[in-house]
Formats: sequence, C-alpha cells, structure tokens
Amino acid sequence: MNIVKKLFHFNEGLLLESGLKLDSFDLMVETYGELNGNKSNAILVCHAFSGDHHAAGEDSETGQSGWWGQIIGPNKAIDTNKYFVVCSNNLGGCSGSSGPTSVNPDTGKVYGKDFPAISVTDWVNSQKILSDFLQIKKWHLVAGGSLGGMQALQWAISFPDNLLKCGVFAAAAKSSTQNIAMNEVSRESIRKDVNFFDGNYIEHNTKPKNGLKAARMLGHITYLSEKHMDVKFGRKFQNTDSKVSGNVDYEVENYLQYKGEKFSDSFDANSYILMTKAMDGYDASINSDGNLDKAMSAIKCHLLIIGFDSDWLYPPQRSKDIQLAGMRANVNCTNVILPGEQGHDSFLFASEEYDGIINTFIES
Amino acid sequence: MSTSLINIINDWVPDQSKVIDFGCGDGSLLKELIDTKKIHGYGVEIDTKKIKECIAKGLSVIQQDIDDGFEEFESSNFDISIMASSIQCLKDPHLALRRMLKLSNKCVVTLPNLGYWRCRADLVLGKMPVTPNLPSSWYETDNLHLCTINDFEKLCDDEGFIINKKIFLNPNRDQSFLASRSPNLFASEGVYLLGRE
Repeated sequence: MNIVKKLFHFNEGLLLESGLKLDSFDLMVETYGELNGNKSNAILVCHAFSGDHHAAGEDSETGQSGWWGQIIGPNKAIDTNKYFVVCSNNLGGCSGSSGPTSVNPDTGKVYGKDFPAISVTDWVNSQKILSDFLQIKKWHLVAGGSLGGMQALQWAISFPDNLLKCGVFAAAAKSSTQNIAMNEVSRESIRKDVNFFDGNYIEHNTKPKNGLKAARMLGHITYLSEKHMDVKFGRKFQNTDSKVSGNVDYEVENYLQYKGEKFSDSFDANSYILMTKAMDGYDASINSDGNLDKAMSAIKCHLLIIGFDSDWLYPPQRSKDIQLAGMRANVNCTNVILPGEQGHDSFLFASEEYDGIINTFIES
Repeated sequence: MSTSLINIINDWVPDQSKVIDFGCGDGSLLKELIDTKKIHGYGVEIDTKKIKECIAKGLSVIQQDIDDGFEEFESSNFDISIMASSIQCLKDPHLALRRMLKLSNKCVVTLPNLGYWRCRADLVLGKMPVTPNLPSSWYETDNLHLCTINDFEKLCDDEGFIINKKIFLNPNRDQSFLASRSPNLFASEGVYLLGRE
C-alpha cells in the first residue's frame, strides 16, 4: 500500500463558525492508494475525537498501526487497491494540523488556550478547501465513526454535490446530555490539574498530565461495553510483574492506567478540551431551526448509518434518529444495527458483517 | 417473488409515490417499483444478510423488528405501505395492519390461504399442510398466525379496513376462474389493497 504523509499549508483564510477567522492554516494529511485519472475513486475518512491523520498501514517512524487499519487497506472493506483514501488531522488537533500547540503567526508564540474554538462544520469547511486543492470534485465516499461520523454527516449536509456516498458509524446527529456531562467531567479533571495554569501550561514548561490521564481513563470506560469489559478483564488480578503502578489490583485498572499514561504523554490538554467542546457543540440541525428533517433535506448522496448494539455512548437509537429524519426528508438512507462486542469502539474493528456492509455500500 | 405478484402490486402502486415495504427481504419488489414506477421507497427488514443484498441494489432500508411497532414512521408521509407474505409471521398481525393504515392511506397485503383445498386435504389426512405457498414443515416454519381468506376478510370487516381491490392466485401464482370464484377453497394466496374508512 502506497502511504503518503504530507503537511498542506493553506494561505486562504478560513472563517470559523464562531465568527473568528484563521488567516492561514495547516492540515496534516495521509493518503493511501492511488488517485485515478478522472479523480473519481477518492474516499475521505474522518477520525474520532482523539484520532489523527494516520488511519491505515504502519507509521514509517513509530510502526504504529492506523486507527482504522482493520477497515482500510489492500482487499479490506475500504480497498486501497481500488480507492484513494485520504485522512486529515482535524484543525485544533495536536498531530500536525493547526491547533493549540501551533505557533500563532500574529504573535510568534504558541496558541495554547487562545486557539479559536473549532466546530465540526469548520473541519468540514477546511476539508473542502483540501479537496478543492486536490481537485477532487466528488468524493466517492466520506465516512467516519463517532465524532468522525458526525463530520461525515455534516459533509453530506454542507456540500451535497461533493460526495456520492456517506458513512455515519457509531455516531449521532447531536451529542446527548449524557455525552456533554461525561466530557465535562474529563475537562474538569484537566482544569483542576495543578499544572494546567489556566491553559498556559506550555509557558510554564509543563503539562497537566495527571488530569489528562484521568480524563482519558474515564473516556476508555465509555468506549467499552460492560459485557466486553467483563469478557476482556473480568475480575482478574493483575500479574505483579506487569503492574504499571503499585496501586493496581485488577487487570482493568492496569489497562486504564496504561492507556491513560500513554495518552497523556502524547496528547495536548488544550486540544482535548477543544475537541470535546466541538463534540458537545455539534448539532446537525443547528442552522435549520433545530429541525433535523430540514437540515437533512439538503442531502443528495446515499447515506449508510451503522449503530452498534453494545454502544452506550452513541446508542443505536441515535443512529436510528438520523435514519428516521432521513426518511422524512426523502433521503436515500439505510440504517443497520450490528452486534458490536466492543461497545462504542466497535466501529474500529473489522467483522464479517461490518466489512461486508461497508464494502457492498461502496461498490453499490 | 413471482413476476405475476410483482405485476399486480406494480399496478396498484402510483407513479412516484412514497412506499414502505415491510419485510422487504432482498429488495426485489422495491427495486422493481423504483425501476418501473419511479417510486421513493424504503424497506424494513430484520435480517442483516438480506439488508446487505438491498444495499447492493442501492436501496434504502431500516433494520427493525416489525413486531416492535413502527409508530415513528407515521410522520414520514408514506403514500402506500406493503407487506408481502409476512403478515402471518408477526406476533400481532391485526396491530401491524392498524399501524400500516395509520402511516399510509393505502396498504398492500399478500397472505397464504390456509383454507386452500390442499391444506384442508393435508389436515383431513391428519398432517400439517405443506404446499408451494407453505413450504416449511411445522417445526421449521416462521408462520405464527395462518388464516383463511374468509378469516382475513372478517378481520378487515371487524377492524373497519376497506378492501379496495383483491386478487386471488393459484399455486402457480396465476389468476384462475376457480380461485376467483371460490377463493377460500381454491386460492392458495390472496392479494389485497386495503384502505381505511
């Protein structure tokens, strides 16, 4: 598989939903496969809130697998032998695209907490600029899971003529009250870290690692299902030799400690806050007087909406809500509920049914 | 689904109407209606494998158990709802019919006739009927609520469903003199276009 990683710099300004403007911005992009002559085989995949541009294959430096590596690749559900797959790190992220860790060209200093608030629609608008630059007039498919699924849905609403198909997986047309509540607990743990310094931790040469770690640990609980946790860890005690800390008793504690620690090393706290705020703020109907049917009536592409029955963060009913609005708005849409075992994370994992449905949809 | 049955339903479905097909299976009927009548159609199906076949045909489907109810479709303004060869598999066929006639003014229903003479003959011989329309043995069948043509029409009468059109088919799925003359004995299948008062 041909993997190309590239930083795109755009000098044209991006007017944000907040009313603020980014005079220029960077997008870190990875592509897989080859674009065909008439540029009709391009697929855009959108990452979930803590994901990045590295969607498939192994990273040349770290060897790390892409977040959707089970779905994207040669002969996989999204087949890179046939399609040219594009994934960009979202604005406000911390993996190369413009975000809180970038330098503000106006001040010469790192943005930090002053990076403007970004919305899902802003991501879509920035990706539209990227597609224009790549001269891709119509994506064969725009797809994503979780927050990436919201972004894919917004693509279909914002630019109905620029995509043929849209895949919305383990997502919702808006965040629920419970989603916002969970995110607020995460943000609070970051804000109350002594090293947060009101978001100015970079100036103090430190980072709110403990808060970020606790936030991520809570996140991981919400990504898994009760059953899957039971199957994966049960009430097994952690082997003494492999304990990440002395306080750990159970395997599940060790797992959360390990995941939280790893995440807090690499992710930026201001990005975490910005991304969760974007997630909380998303409501596909916001520019249609709260009427989702009206918002979706703009859609021209085919929509595939997949929910997973073990997902309690974006439960299957949220995917059905999108389907029902689509049916009222005469959108071509299909809603499938799959028995994902991994809770919300199910959208990341290949299975015969999931792969078959995605692939059939792409080829139909 | 047989060509003759598809043709009958095709005749009853208005051009460019908004259609919902309950128990749409692999989507053949919907596909035919889209191709010939330019309908805007949605299928309801519970089986993921069949949904995949629908997706391959470019159709729109919602995965749902019809027995769980479908009141949430009522605001979708369907012109016509279809339930072909599925009504007898439901837990509450009468409730499903009521719901279908709430979400659309017209409703197409097809059902196997347990009063068909070969079914009666099997019962006289002391065994559960197995016919081209009811091909499964008693322990394998999905059918929960089989009825005769007379039973079904009595239900329509009791419930106030108007039978606007009806066509009776023999086991070859053709219309025949005998099946039309004495459907309760000679039709193996009834095809109805229902409306509401």
